[in-house]
Amino acid sequence: MADHEVAADVTGTVWKIVKQAGEAVAEGEAIMILESMKMEIPIEAPAAGSLSELRVAEGDPVAEGDVVCVVSA
Amino acid sequence: MSRDGNRTAQTGAETETGAETGHDWDDPLEELAFRREQALRQGGEAAIERQHAAGRLTIRERIAALTDAGSFREVGSLAGAGSYDSENRLVSVTPAPYVAGLARIDGRPVALGGEDFTVRGGTTFGSQRRKGGQGGFVEDLAWHYRIPLVNLIDGAGGSVTSIRKRGHSVFPGVHGFERSVSLLGAVPVASAVLGTAAGGPAGRAILSHFSVMVRGRSQIFAAGPPVVKRSLGTEIDKEALGGAAVAVDAAGTIHNAADTEEEAFAQIRRFLSYLPSNVWEAPPVLPADDPADRREEGLASVVPQKRTQPYDMRKLLKLVIDRESGFEICPTNGKPLITMLARLGGRPVGIVANNPMVYGGAMDAAAARKQVHFMELCDTFHLPIVFFVDVPGFMVGEKAEREGTLREGMRAVFAAGRLKVPTLTLVIRKCYGMAGMATCNKNDIDLKLAWPSAEWGSLPVQGGVAAAFARDIRAAPDPAAREREIEAEFAAYASPFRSAEAFAVEEIIDPRETRPVLCEFVELAERRQRIELGPRLRGGVQP
Repeated sequence: MADHEVAADVTGTVWKIVKQAGEAVAEGEAIMILESMKMEIPIEAPAAGSLSELRVAEGDPVAEGDVVCVVSA
Repeated sequence: MSRDGNRTAQTGAETETGAETGHDWDDPLEELAFRREQALRQGGEAAIERQHAAGRLTIRERIAALTDAGSFREVGSLAGAGSYDSENRLVSVTPAPYVAGLARIDGRPVALGGEDFTVRGGTTFGSQRRKGGQGGFVEDLAWHYRIPLVNLIDGAGGSVTSIRKRGHSVFPGVHGFERSVSLLGAVPVASAVLGTAAGGPAGRAILSHFSVMVRGRSQIFAAGPPVVKRSLGTEIDKEALGGAAVAVDAAGTIHNAADTEEEAFAQIRRFLSYLPSNVWEAPPVLPADDPADRREEGLASVVPQKRTQPYDMRKLLKLVIDRESGFEICPTNGKPLITMLARLGGRPVGIVANNPMVYGGAMDAAAARKQVHFMELCDTFHLPIVFFVDVPGFMVGEKAEREGTLREGMRAVFAAGRLKVPTLTLVIRKCYGMAGMATCNKNDIDLKLAWPSAEWGSLPVQGGVAAAFARDIRAAPDPAAREREIEAEFAAYASPFRSAEAFAVEEIIDPRETRPVLCEFVELAERRQRIELGPRLRGGVQP
């Protein structure tokens, strides 16, 4: 088991949470969607596994480089 | 000159007291063999073990791993510091801390060299003629024969001890960067940072067309932790100061990172494979095993209908270029932009593509810098450039302004404006404002193609309407409905087909035709490339 910390590539706000903590995720599957520069930017699972930690909620501001969730693979 | 090979080890005879006496040779070939053997010992077994323990190869292992088997022809193998007995007979030689010569990569000749860290940490050795680094012999070797230069960097530059040896301090620039600069307009220069680089060797790495470092094993900075501590009082370790996370990902000081030295060498071989040996030769064309007329159904659905939804530009590019032919430069810095060497129908091309996944592809300062370097690289070596455009404009906001996005972005517009190499602009989705102007060039035909999903203008209808019709919208009984109504009216004009009617864009293509169309235009460009070979003269002053 390895923990993958997933960081936001962009500064923006959390528009929609797609996966809840504890849910299984496939590689490349969207975990949440950020809104930045009028675009809906998905945060994707870097590997298949489970979403062990969700560090943000809908509406939260995030900065580039912030870890927003952790995937255990 | 010598070729590496197995040699019998010889050492000086030892007297009963343990003091070494020098050698007497009747045959100068024996002396030559002894001196060559001494060079192969590098800094001695203990120093080589320390180098390996640090997870690093020696310079000779590096050259062997990078180049075609048995192709290394060393130059300057006898340079070093001889130690002589009281009768002035040679006892041993400590080799110069730099190994250089000629070799082949994929059958093509290169000049290459690197510091030998096992000999006095790869510092300078006070020879008559410098072997490598800025102003070193290996640079002249590349220049003279018009062949690529590869620097294998593992050193921190001058040592203060040389002051005592000389009795004076050396003025900066005696071994200047002039040759390093002239090489950048003549032959491909690639550098691998394989140890901790500061000072001259660090500067040498930057004056390259392509640079790579090893994640977790190498560092680069203007000055290392002890100098930072003395100058600023800050404690920081060398990895935090100049590891790949800083130098590659955050700063773009070095273009690419590799996980191992072997991978770094593979990246250098790959980089060189797209380029001619010099600017007077045409880029190397490979037999194309991927059909030029391949139509990919997947391209028809890659762009989502909803314009706020991004898509994977790398996946799109993969469907278009020759199979497995892409090599990204700077993938982890300036991420709103993708710069990639690739092949279309076997012909090398440079690809500049906006990445909608990061800030919608908006151009920030780092992306602009990356684009300028990449476009000049392609222009210098006569690689046609294909722009895959999806850019909403320059990045906005306080951070972007503090980073000088407007200036860096206009520098990209300036650099695009003086390109001489054939370019092709394919608008995938958005092409707005001045950032959009950095994706085409008015040289001759200025061919612009577009997918039906394309939209363009000086600014998007959304937002643009709100600003231009503010009073009208505010006065309406239902302002939101009025805004939507005006937007709908303008959206009809924004259709790319209206622009095609006005011949403002030359052609709208079916996304599935992309590869055949691009392959055809790149093939056409070849005729022009051939008659325009030679160095580029870039006039003007960059903004």
